[in-house]
Amino acid sequence: MTRIFAQLRLGLVYGALSLAAFVSIFPFFWMLVGTTNTANDIIKGKVTFGSALFDNIANLFAQVDMLQVFWNSAFLAIVGTILTLAISSLAGYAFEMFPSKTRERVFAVLLLTLSIPFAAIMVPLFVMMAKLTLINTFTAILLPSIASVFIIFYFRQATKAFPHELRDAAKIDGLKEWQIFLYIYLPVMRSTYAAAIIIVFMANWNNYLWPLIVLQTNDNKTLTLVVSSLASSYYPDYGVVMVATVLATLPTIIVFFLLQRRFVEGLTGSVK
Amino acid sequence: MTGLKLRGVRKSYDAVEVIKGVDLDIAPGEFVVFVGPSGCGKSTLLRMIAGLEEISGGDLFIGDKRMNDVDPAQRGIAMVFQSYALYPHMTVRENMGFALRFAKKPKNEIAQAVNEAARILELGPLLDRRPKDLSGGQRQRVAIGRAIVRHPDVFLFDEPLSNLDAELRVHMRIEVARLHKELATTIIYVTHDQVEAMTLADKIVVMRAGVVEQVGSPLALYDDPDNLFVAGFIGSPKMNFLAGVVEQDTVRLPEFGNQSIPLGHLTHPPAQGSEVTVGIRPESFKRGGDAGLELTIEIVEHLGNESFAYARQSGGQMLTLATENGRSLQPGQRIAARFNPAQIMVFDKSGQRIR
Ligand SMILES: Nc1ncnc2c1ncn2[C@@H]1O[C@H](COP(=O)(O)OP(=O)(O)OP(=O)(O)O)[C@@H](O)[C@H]1O
Ligand SMILES: [Mg+2]
Repeated sequence: MTRIFAQLRLGLVYGALSLAAFVSIFPFFWMLVGTTNTANDIIKGKVTFGSALFDNIANLFAQVDMLQVFWNSAFLAIVGTILTLAISSLAGYAFEMFPSKTRERVFAVLLLTLSIPFAAIMVPLFVMMAKLTLINTFTAILLPSIASVFIIFYFRQATKAFPHELRDAAKIDGLKEWQIFLYIYLPVMRSTYAAAIIIVFMANWNNYLWPLIVLQTNDNKTLTLVVSSLASSYYPDYGVVMVATVLATLPTIIVFFLLQRRFVEGLTGSVK
Repeated sequence: MTGLKLRGVRKSYDAVEVIKGVDLDIAPGEFVVFVGPSGCGKSTLLRMIAGLEEISGGDLFIGDKRMNDVDPAQRGIAMVFQSYALYPHMTVRENMGFALRFAKKPKNEIAQAVNEAARILELGPLLDRRPKDLSGGQRQRVAIGRAIVRHPDVFLFDEPLSNLDAELRVHMRIEVARLHKELATTIIYVTHDQVEAMTLADKIVVMRAGVVEQVGSPLALYDDPDNLFVAGFIGSPKMNFLAGVVEQDTVRLPEFGNQSIPLGHLTHPPAQGSEVTVGIRPESFKRGGDAGLELTIEIVEHLGNESFAYARQSGGQMLTLATENGRSLQPGQRIAARFNPAQIMVFDKSGQRIR
C-alpha cells in the first residue's frame, strides 16, 4: 500500500518537474524553430523546423547594420561590466576593511537607495544627462551604472569571509593597499568576481529602458533595442525577429557557461 | 642581531586604552614570550611592534632606530599568524618567495633563500603544493618558512601553535626551539600555553589588562613572583591562595579551622593583625616539611606519574596538593599536609608580594 503511495508521489514529482522543464525550455525551442520558418508559418504555430533560415538571416542583415549594433551592445556590456566591477568591488572592499564610525550609516543610506525604482529617477536622470550634453552617448549609459549599490553590497558581504590576516601578512611582505587589492584580494575572490561578472554582464546586455531613452540615432542602438523595434513594427517578420533574438541570447549563455562553476562557488562563498 | 626597546608604549581605540604604557627591553637574540589572560593586549602589543597597529603613544625602537612610523616591511620583522595567513592562490614556493619577489630580488637569490628555508623546515617535497593541500602542521611550517626567507632581525609569533592538536604542538614547539638555536634571531612569541612559555622563553613577560605585571626568566617568575597575579598565572596546577591574619610569627587561617602556619623568614614582616594571602604551590606539599595543615581529602586524581588531591577543612576552601607518591591516598582520608615554611609566599591586601 505504502509502496504504491510512494510511487504515486514520485510520479507526481516527476510530472511537476517535467512540466516546469517544459515551460522553461519550450520558449528556447520555439525561438530556434522560429529562425527556420517564415513569418506566416510562425503565426500559424508551426513547431517543426523549416527551410527559411538563410532567408531570415539575409533579411535581418539587410534591414539592420548588425555588426554595428552587435558592437554597440558588446562595447556597453563589456566596458560597463569592467567599470562596475572595478568601482563597486573597491567600494565593497573598503567598506569592510576600513573601520570608521560613520561607515554603517553611510552603508545603510546606500542600501536604502535600492528601494527606489528606476522609473522614479529616470526623468531627473535624463534631465541631468541632457544638461551634461551626454544624450545619445555611451557615457550616459555607463555613468549611472558603474557604482552599483547591489554589487557593492554583494562584495562587502563576500569580503567578510576574506581573512584579515592575509592583508596583514601582505603588508609585512611589503605590499601597499592597492597592491594587496590587486595581487591578493582579487585572485582570492575570483569566484565572487565571476558571479558578479555574470550578474552585471547580463544586466548590461539586457538593459532596455535607459538605452531606449538615451540612445536616439540608429548607429548607437543596441541589440535589445533592435529586437524590440523589429518585433513592434507594423508587419513584424517573426522569422527575422527570432534570428535577432538568438543573436541577442547567445552572449549571455556563453558567458554563463564559461563562468558557471565559479558562479556557483561565488554565490556559496568563495573563500575556502 | 637586533634588540628592541619599548618606552611608555600606549594604544587606545577611541576612548578605550588597551595598552597602558609598556616599558620593555629585549636583548639581541633573546626569546621573549608574552603571556596573559585573553584580552590583555598581547596580540595588540605584538601587532604594534609589527607595524600593523598604530602606536598611540610612547616610543618603539628596533635596534637603535625609532620605528613608530616606519612601514611594516621596513622594520626588519617577519610575523607568523595563528591562522597561518598563507596566500591560498599561490604554491608553497610562491608563498615563501613572495616578499623577495616583491622586493625585486634576483630570481636565483629568491630560489636559494626558498630552498634554504625548505631545507631547515623539511618542506622540500611540498614546494609545489597549494596551502589547501597541506595539513595544519605543514601549513604552519610554511608560514614559518615564509618568515625565515626574509631573514628578519626579529621574528614575531602570535599563538602560532594553538590551531594544532596536542601531539603536533609538542613537535612544533621543539621545532621552534631548534629554529631559535639555528638562526639565533630575536623572537617575540605570544602564547596561552604555560608549557610553551616555560620551555621556550629566555624571558617571560606577564601581562594583565594592558599592563606588564612582571618580566623575568621562567624560573624566576615561578620561584619569585612579584604579586598574586603572576604567582597564580605561572605554574600548573595553580598555586593555592589561603586568606589569613598575621599573629606574631604565624598566620591564622580562618577558612581552615583557625589553624596557624609559620610566616617564614621575611625581611619586611607585615604588621600584627593585618590580613594577608598565603600562597602555597600544590607541589610544595611534601612529607617531612616543618609545618602542616590538617585536611580531609575529597577527591583524588591519579595521572600515573603524579597524583592530585583536593582537600579542605569541612566547608572551607579547597586546596590542591600534587604529589609523586600519592597512589595510596583515599577520598575521606584525614591527612596532615606537610610543607616547608620557606616555600610559602605571602601577599598583602593589594596583592603585592611581601618579602
Ligand atoms: N580594533 C579594535 N577595536 C577596539 N578594541 C580592540 C580592537 N582590537 C582589540 N581590541 C581590544 O583590545 C584588547 C586587547 O586585545 P588583544 O587581541 O591584544 O588581546 P590578546 O591578549 O591577544 O587576547 P587573546 O589571548 O584572546 O588573543 C581587547 O580588550 C580587545 O577587545
Ligand atoms: Mg591574541
